[in-house]
Amino acid sequence: MFSNFDFSVIAASLPYLFGQGMVFTLTLTALAATGGIVFGTGLAMMRLSGIPGVTQAAKLYVELMRSLPLVLVIFWFYFLVPYIGAWVTGSATPIQVGAFASALVTFTLFEAAYFAEIMRAGIQSIAKGQSAAASALGMSYWQTMRLVVLPQALRNMLPLLLTQTIVLFQDTSLVYVLSLTDFMGAASKVAQRDGRLVEMYLFAALVYFAVCFTASWLVRRLQTRVAIIR
Amino acid sequence: MTSTPMPAPAAGTPTANASEAPADEGLRAGPLVTPAPAPATAGSMIAIEGVSKWYGDFKVLTGCSTRVARGEVVVVCGPSGSGKSTLIKCVNALEPFQEGQITVDGTRVKDRGTNLPKLRARVGMVFQHFELFPHLSITDNLTIAQRKVLGRSGEDARKRGLDLLDRVGLSAHAKKFPGQLSGGQQQRVAIARALAMNPVVMLFDEPTSALDPEMVGEVLDVMVELARDGMTMMVVTHEMGFARKVADRVIFMDRGEIVEDATKDAFFGQPRSERAQQFLSKILAH
Repeated sequence: MFSNFDFSVIAASLPYLFGQGMVFTLTLTALAATGGIVFGTGLAMMRLSGIPGVTQAAKLYVELMRSLPLVLVIFWFYFLVPYIGAWVTGSATPIQVGAFASALVTFTLFEAAYFAEIMRAGIQSIAKGQSAAASALGMSYWQTMRLVVLPQALRNMLPLLLTQTIVLFQDTSLVYVLSLTDFMGAASKVAQRDGRLVEMYLFAALVYFAVCFTASWLVRRLQTRVAIIR
Repeated sequence: MTSTPMPAPAAGTPTANASEAPADEGLRAGPLVTPAPAPATAGSMIAIEGVSKWYGDFKVLTGCSTRVARGEVVVVCGPSGSGKSTLIKCVNALEPFQEGQITVDGTRVKDRGTNLPKLRARVGMVFQHFELFPHLSITDNLTIAQRKVLGRSGEDARKRGLDLLDRVGLSAHAKKFPGQLSGGQQQRVAIARALAMNPVVMLFDEPTSALDPEMVGEVLDVMVELARDGMTMMVVTHEMGFARKVADRVIFMDRGEIVEDATKDAFFGQPRSERAQQFLSKILAH
């Protein structure tokens, strides 16, 4: 059945696929996840702050991002940010934002909305008595958050945060619309060049499956290990 | 009805013979606290004046007034929902209140200019559900606020924390995590954690209510010791045995009001109000 196919194309292109493509994919995933969790935690704290205006602003941001398709947001930022930058700096010509920088900012801002909801649940899962105890010891709001609430919320939510990061790992393939070469883009380029579409896309699917399946399995194992003894 | 007239606190409280207090079993000899420095003003440690509090339309505290003198041990009791926990949480402003004023060691709790974290750092509080920080070891639980709030060095904080852990008889557990200790042990750690901040007063919010019966004693032992060392204490509890042993005064609350505020002997001898009589007969029947 596979007599018409030539799988040697995969072996020949491995250095390119992984050395270029996968490195890009993993870099973008790691940076966007880190930035997204940091900004998302900020959004979650804003949303739970109960300060009029601040709560609504965070809610609006999260709802907006979660209601838009990621591809649209990627386009949006890529084409619009140079003009906004020019407007802000008062420059006559659109400022130069590289495709990678644009993609990184987009994924960070977009994923932050999802991480925010996870962190919100995480913060709310910490009993109110914990922050009362921290306050009673004289800790400020920021100390209570930094030393007592967030460390526990992060540990409780780590499996969910990592699962969301796995989704992000898959979503990064959308950078092909900016002509960036991630793993998927690299596979696609080889496929088009050599006319080996079936082989390359099959291989790409296998790699994504293997990475995500393994990662999910690791997350499940981690889940039991990081749990706080109660 | 607002508040019952406040009887004068019993003079010459047990604090006078603090150093003669016998060491309880399981507890090391020596005072749990260094005696508070001579009061700047001879006034009371806690003054609660006409405090009222609402949750929306529901009034949970109605014109509560009382005083806790330096070195005095005051037990607050009453049926559940009577507002006693709410009142004690108002003292360190964990619960806001709409009317009245509370003064702790000369600092007005409900003042715009009051630095609440600074005030709370001087008021120790022990909770019903211990509220140790589960992600930190026992040592870290004892030292984190000393270091981050009081700015003590890691070494000083550790020394003070482990010293207090030893006094509550748990020095073998310094490296464990809260989840590995029994409820009674956790509550003793929680008391040590509060004492590590060198508080001028200690508040206890039903410290034994969440404990299995066989663990109540070990926690009360620590509290009795603390009282005999001269610590100013305000204790919300149903443990009338504890009240009889070390309380100077007993406050009885019902439906958000202070119904009775009397010396221990007067309260147990002949409580004036019918509600207090009923309450006492119910809980002393067991």
